[in-house]
Amino acid sequence: MEPREAEIDSLLRRSMAGPVPSLPPDFDQRLMREVRSGWRPLDRYRRILLTGYGLTSVVTSAVVMRGQGLDWGAISVMILGPLALVAAARWARRATYTTIGHGAQ
Amino acid sequence: MESDSQLVARAQSGDQQAFAELVRRYSALVFRLTVSILGREFIPEAEDVAQEVFLKVHYAIESFRGEAEFSSWIYRITFNQAVNVKARVRFRSPHADETVLYQAVSPGPGPYRQAETAQRDQALAECIQTLPEIYQSALRLYYWLGAGVGELAELLGVPENTAKSYLHRARQLLHGMLKERGYSCD
Repeated sequence: MEPREAEIDSLLRRSMAGPVPSLPPDFDQRLMREVRSGWRPLDRYRRILLTGYGLTSVVTSAVVMRGQGLDWGAISVMILGPLALVAAARWARRATYTTIGHGAQ
Repeated sequence: MESDSQLVARAQSGDQQAFAELVRRYSALVFRLTVSILGREFIPEAEDVAQEVFLKVHYAIESFRGEAEFSSWIYRITFNQAVNVKARVRFRSPHADETVLYQAVSPGPGPYRQAETAQRDQALAECIQTLPEIYQSALRLYYWLGAGVGELAELLGVPENTAKSYLHRARQLLHGMLKERGYSCD
């Protein structure tokens, strides 16, 4: 190794050292539960179909609510509220495993 | 102990115990490869990617013809999946800043020295993120996750000499970048 490469090698060793993360011990069990539940990835066609369905639902809901006399603020809350709840639940689930070095050696 | 191809054959005929054994064998390696691509700021995402990889493998295992090793196949799926996810999460704020973690493990002798080290480490982390994905992954596997050249080559699906050349080239590039920014490596 050339001297300048040895310098950067030593810097990388010092700088990148840190706790090594590992999977939570129940990862395999959780995964196998998903597998047994018959999970299937969405193919491109189904993904487009589902997105189209979602967008159509949102637009239709907005038009109907507007027709009922609701203002745009209320309509936004009604549509974005459930989405925010889903995002929050997803975030909370992730936060459970967010400890850096979770299961670190 | 059963070979991968025997387990794959059993999994293809619907044996979930065989698939569970493949998961047990490869989950840690798939996770290490994923983490090496996403970096230490996105460890929870890495866990999600690892799960998605195995679900994809389970879904697609019937179409696996054994032309390549099962390990090469699963690492290729992992690499592609992790790179796709990285493209989505890179603009999201990280769970923990990489430099904070660096500081936590490598404090300098005094406050001035410590600040200097932290600045250089941050510059280094930024430089690493501008390298091609394969170099970034190689560096994290080797310097952070403690993988040897053999493991590095296996996970990246390249011969050992190529893995060594990735490290060599990455170090050269980083040296140049740090020098350009006015940092020394000693």
